[in-house]
Amino acid sequence: METQSEEQAVTKPADSGGEGGPPQVAGAQAARPEDRMTLLLRLRAQTKQQLLEYKSMVDASKDFHFQIRFYEFDDEHKIEELENEVEEAKTAFEMKKLALDRMQLSTALKKHLEKVDIKTSVLMDNMKQILNLNKLIMKSQQETWDLEEKLLDVRKKRLQLKQASERKLLEIQTEKNKQKDDLDSMENSDKIKAIQQNLETEIQITTVIQHVFQNLILGSKVNWAEDPALKETVLQLEKNLTMI
Amino acid sequence: MSALRPLDKLPGLNTATILLVGTEDALLQQLADSMLKADCTSELKVHLARSLPLPCSVNRPRIDLIVFVVNLHSKLSLQSVEESLCHLDAAFFLGKVAFLATGAGRDSHCSIHRNTVVKLAHTYRSPLLFCDLEIEDFRAAMAQRLVRLLQICAGHVPGVSALNLLSLMRGSENPSLEDL
Repeated sequence: METQSEEQAVTKPADSGGEGGPPQVAGAQAARPEDRMTLLLRLRAQTKQQLLEYKSMVDASKDFHFQIRFYEFDDEHKIEELENEVEEAKTAFEMKKLALDRMQLSTALKKHLEKVDIKTSVLMDNMKQILNLNKLIMKSQQETWDLEEKLLDVRKKRLQLKQASERKLLEIQTEKNKQKDDLDSMENSDKIKAIQQNLETEIQITTVIQHVFQNLILGSKVNWAEDPALKETVLQLEKNLTMI
Repeated sequence: MSALRPLDKLPGLNTATILLVGTEDALLQQLADSMLKADCTSELKVHLARSLPLPCSVNRPRIDLIVFVVNLHSKLSLQSVEESLCHLDAAFFLGKVAFLATGAGRDSHCSIHRNTVVKLAHTYRSPLLFCDLEIEDFRAAMAQRLVRLLQICAGHVPGVSALNLLSLMRGSENPSLEDL
């Protein structure tokens, strides 16, 4: 097992400047204390951070629940819960930091205002400018609100008009349908049928009479083409009454 | 050999150690060189390995960051990475592990789908970086990123811890995971 994987190590000393190793040039004596100070401060910050990390791991492992939870990685849901907990802790910390900063800022501001002459301070000019801008903002916001109200009213009216026109069209349609139904029913009613029967009978009688007259005139062997009145009468008799 | 644990040794002063694990030796070597050339105020130590577990005979400093390099062109690299992941202590995955997928530029040569690595990174809750290690400029940029990552994981940056960074990086990744 130990020979299975190879390992190589490559290292690099820290980069240029007097920071990494012991100082080599005697002429840079004046700059050295500065570099050493920065190096020391940096190392101090590093060690602090590393100490914090180790401390937090120690504290976490002391917690019995941590030991158990740490190895239950099969459940996706649990992992997400833990991640959410971390996020919540972070945001809570940020909120607290913000609140603290605000409190510090307000006390510093108070102290500053107590010391400084109020009329000439740049701070007061800034505050006045802020107040003016705020008034302007509120005014434009009010205008926006009014315009939006108007827009809303117009839209409401449009909607109402649309609904009214819809109703009217519906009424028209129902009326038309009723008329059609009436017409259909009328056509099928018995009265119409009786009238139609009578009409047919009358037409037949008149046709017969027409034929009788025609035959009468033809049978009398009169030359009907000569007399215009007679001609007109004969032609009129030829009219087919069923077409009327 | 037992699993690698993140905090079992004391850190060296001003030293940060990164372990690059992957089957492509040439790429790892090039990446290591780029990282050493990068601008950094702490001392860097780069260890390369083909797979875990590491031989315990070697005396090595505390490892601050492990980067698993997966070549999207070869299924073997993914397999070896998956096998190596079992030899890591779970405490490492609190921000000290990252995945680096290379070779995504040449789509025709890719035998591993991008979603496979994305799912792998999601399972282990670690950040996934994409980089074409064969191209000089991308490699240099990625080396710079890895150096910054390493500094934070080694505790050299006050105010940011590895876990903090992990949740910060997660915020930008989540939109792509919705596609899965």
